[in-house]
Amino acid sequence: MGEVIVITSGKGGVGKTTTTANIGIGLSQMGKKVLVIDTDLGLRNLDVVMGLENRIIYNLVDVIAGNCRLKQALIRDKRFPELCLLPSAQTKDKTSVSPEQMKKLVDELRDEYDYVLLDCPAGIEQGFQNAIAGARRSIVVTTPEVSAIRDADRIIGLLEASGIRNNQLLINRLRVDMVRRGDMMSVDDVTEILAVELLGVIPDDEQVVIATNQGEPVVGDGSQAGAAYERICRRLAGEEIPICDFSRPEGILGRISGFFHRNQGGGL
Amino acid sequence: MSSPSVAVAKERLKNLLVSDRIRCAPDAVDRLSNDLYYTVSKYMEITPEDFNIEITRTDIHIRYTGEKN
Repeated sequence: MGEVIVITSGKGGVGKTTTTANIGIGLSQMGKKVLVIDTDLGLRNLDVVMGLENRIIYNLVDVIAGNCRLKQALIRDKRFPELCLLPSAQTKDKTSVSPEQMKKLVDELRDEYDYVLLDCPAGIEQGFQNAIAGARRSIVVTTPEVSAIRDADRIIGLLEASGIRNNQLLINRLRVDMVRRGDMMSVDDVTEILAVELLGVIPDDEQVVIATNQGEPVVGDGSQAGAAYERICRRLAGEEIPICDFSRPEGILGRISGFFHRNQGGGL
Repeated sequence: MSSPSVAVAKERLKNLLVSDRIRCAPDAVDRLSNDLYYTVSKYMEITPEDFNIEITRTDIHIRYTGEKN
């Protein structure tokens, strides 16, 4: 039975889609069977980040409406044979899919994959409800900014209220130089405030922009961000990989001392 | 050069989260705290130093540290 994980954030532009693409590709490179689903109806993006935009014939709405069979809508990534994409529709009607329909679809699919990753739209409207409907756990993406962390807290509350209790935090675009001079919240600051388990930290890395321009992943390209996503994938697969918070000089000692224990409780 | 901005960010964020979590205005948090303190003080001898309120996503905790040695 596959793991169904929703990648969500509340705030837009913090890196949900990039995270979905890179974790999906990273897990598939480890030999896992992975399906990534773009649930952002009307603003289709995951296919573009993955460089698969020219291969779409059918989409999520077609599958749910019965215009095609599921297999016809799935796009196999030739570079990563274990990875499939179910693209979103570029239509405007955001109510064409209901949470019940999404849950049914995901329940049908989960047996065939090791991981089903749901790329959630920004906001807390129906698109969010659709994306979380079939999920058993979440990755909450945030950046070390007041507005993004505030929205992440809200999202974690909504996930918990929906019965999703396994919520892990991914801190994206951390700038070590700014943390050092006290102008960006550190990994410790963010985890203390949000009080959920930390899944990983992605440093701010211009290679993410370059790779996204080309429709390529950063996992496997040797960049800092790519290496951080690879560690997250191994952690998701159950390996004990210490979390690098980039607050110390690189090296084995820095990595070990950067390990975070599960952050219990929910206080401020 | 301005002073590091993280302290300001954390303070603003903590206030935002508390009012988000109980869905009310920031000053309502203070009034709630005062009322809770007043209510508890009707039944127990407490001082503000012993009394602490913590608001999380799912709970409101009232901590009373009690008699000190």
